[in-house]
Amino acid sequence: MAGTATPQREATHQSDSSTSAQPDLPWITIVWNDPINLMSYVTHVFMTVFGFPRSKAEKLMLDVHRRGKAVVSSGTRERMELDVATMHGYGLWATLEQQS
Amino acid sequence: MNVTRRRGVIKLRLEPVERDVLTSMFDDLAISLQDDNLAPDDPVRRRLYPDGYGDREAAAEFRELTESSLTYDRTERISQCTAELALDGDLPLDADAGQRWIKALNDLRLALGTRLEISDDDDLSVAADAQSDPGHAIYQWLTVVQDSLVRALMK
Repeated sequence: MAGTATPQREATHQSDSSTSAQPDLPWITIVWNDPINLMSYVTHVFMTVFGFPRSKAEKLMLDVHRRGKAVVSSGTRERMELDVATMHGYGLWATLEQQS
Repeated sequence: MNVTRRRGVIKLRLEPVERDVLTSMFDDLAISLQDDNLAPDDPVRRRLYPDGYGDREAAAEFRELTESSLTYDRTERISQCTAELALDGDLPLDADAGQRWIKALNDLRLALGTRLEISDDDDLSVAADAQSDPGHAIYQWLTVVQDSLVRALMK
């Protein structure tokens, strides 16, 4: 997603930063629970996309399933946009936000 | 339907009627994905292209950046899977093809599951509905195929 920034996008970035008190805090990718994605599939996606060992992928999947969501990655806004787009490509419901 | 794995290669065996069902579902989904055939507020579209941000404006902007490549990828994998379904015999799937298949099957389940308003995390209610309703029966069958392939890929 990096390199596709448009003027409008910069404007959004600035307005977002002004509402978030700490512009230097990292961004996070959150995966949300949904009734359709299978537990086995979500575990497999976490292992494939993030290279997590099975135990970590399963723990995160169970967090999504039981608590409704889990943070799966953190970093720059651009990197998290890429992760969220990748999750959407797999059909997972993911959003990014700045860590509070 | 049967999934086996030998020496790293997965074989997906489908009965002719199962091939027909999948081909027709893939065709329908490919048409839905074309040229805004799904209205922006259609629940299937909202599910296949979810918001990337909690903020509405940022989500709309993010969708604009990502939607066309998501559609391209979805359409590509549908056409590859459909081409494989037209061939005779078991489908041999290496890791990449297996990956493509579970994503394509997931797209089908997301579209059908959203139309069926699957909202319960409990598979038992789906199983009960599957007894009486063909839509739920197909959804449950897609779930079994996808889950079998995912498990074979993770072995």
